[in-house]
Amino acid sequence: MLRNLGGFFLALAIPSVGFAAEPMAGHDQAACAAPAAVPAGLAGWSVAHAKVKAAVKPTVAGKALLAQGVAADAALSPTPKVAYAIEPGKPGGSVSYGGLFAFDVVQAGRYRIAQSGRSWVDVVVDGKAVASVAHGHGPDCSGIAKMVEYDLPAGHHLLQIAANGEPGLTVMVAPVR
Amino acid sequence: MTIKQAGTIKRAGRWVLACASLTLVAGVGVAGNTPGDPAVQVALGRRLFHDGDLSVNGTLSCATCHDPRHSFADGVAAHPGAHGEPGLRNVPSLVNVGAFSPLTWGNAALTSLELQALVPIAGEDPVEMGMKGREAELARRLSANPCYRKLFKAAYPQTRGRIDFASTAAALAAFQRTIVSHEAAWDRAATGGPALSAAAARGERLFRGSAGCAACHAGGEFTDLSFHRLAGAPEAPANGDFGLARTSGRIEDRGRFRTPSLRNVALTAPYLHDGSAGTVAEAIARHGIALDPADLSAITAFLDALTDTAVTTDPRYARPGPACEVS
Repeated sequence: MLRNLGGFFLALAIPSVGFAAEPMAGHDQAACAAPAAVPAGLAGWSVAHAKVKAAVKPTVAGKALLAQGVAADAALSPTPKVAYAIEPGKPGGSVSYGGLFAFDVVQAGRYRIAQSGRSWVDVVVDGKAVASVAHGHGPDCSGIAKMVEYDLPAGHHLLQIAANGEPGLTVMVAPVR
Repeated sequence: MTIKQAGTIKRAGRWVLACASLTLVAGVGVAGNTPGDPAVQVALGRRLFHDGDLSVNGTLSCATCHDPRHSFADGVAAHPGAHGEPGLRNVPSLVNVGAFSPLTWGNAALTSLELQALVPIAGEDPVEMGMKGREAELARRLSANPCYRKLFKAAYPQTRGRIDFASTAAALAAFQRTIVSHEAAWDRAATGGPALSAAAARGERLFRGSAGCAACHAGGEFTDLSFHRLAGAPEAPANGDFGLARTSGRIEDRGRFRTPSLRNVALTAPYLHDGSAGTVAEAIARHGIALDPADLSAITAFLDALTDTAVTTDPRYARPGPACEVS
């Protein structure tokens, strides 16, 4: 099932943690001549990005705080150095990269994790992975390779990134409007 | 394949798994076991199957695409490669794959799982795991893990546990041969259990009769393992995939793809070699078969009866924990 939402696609996910961050066969970004505009809900992707170093353990994830609607160019760590709060659905090999972030949700609702890669994503609330409700890829040539949506309660939450192929990853948390 | 043959495979798979369980639960050291201990080979293969270090950048394991929760498929049309290279073909399920030869959608030369394993690991058409030319790097990564060193030595003592593409592929093949599923409603009905629903039974009659499905989806695995071209297949496919002709080079093989098994078909959408059919109904329609809604519903009910969800949650196929299987 697909729903067209401002030129990008989200597949509604089976409500299961096991399908939280399935890779999508999306657009080939390498074929793009120039970055494309993004819809208003992803506007933070098109402006100056923040810089953040991902945490390597949950207790210090607060230092890697992602602001809502602000894309962050994140520096990840080699997977063997990362101590995840919960085992990622797909943890990646020893040569992959990962990390931990925190973000705040003021008002309960649907939120989107957008990223430039195809890494595995887990949002952890109260020590458990939240089941995703949709996943897909961003607008063609936007640089957003993958998006996963979650229905989240208000609070201070943990984002786990795993199995990324490079040490750098742009990631953004934003409300779905 | 007959039901009896399928049963034999099922029993063989169980024997291997039972043997593996006995050895591993006992926690015994196995370095002194006989060469080629199948239980250790299976344990090694399972660990490798779930390990991202088999891909160039650590992002893809075999299980990334062959996810047990999707009946060892992955739910997308064609999975991208390790660096995001566009995928070409839909990931086939591995259920009962030990009974199949040839393997994959379009290569008659891939007659064993050992040969097939190197296609995703080191193939370039398309690039999947991206390890071509990186055999030494694979050995370096795996050798850094003490558990792998023990497992390879115990599994392949005749080569003193050499870690290379060949031993990796052999272990993966050993594990994949244990992925056996014959516990669907159709299996139970065929072996004296509860009968199929009326709709499913009618669907099976259509499947084997007027609809003509069983001409290719034959036997207990619902595949004749042969290459066919669908009547409506385009002469110039949009993704440039000419099927068997890619490897045979023969014009007459254009558009021919190997019949996929229909085991757990309800769990393995999307369908067809390029994943272009999102539903079973769409896949049937693409075969050029015209069915009225009632017949389509009946055949769909029959195909649903080929579903064995147990294989999707069986802990014997899940990613192993950090504890090494051998001491």
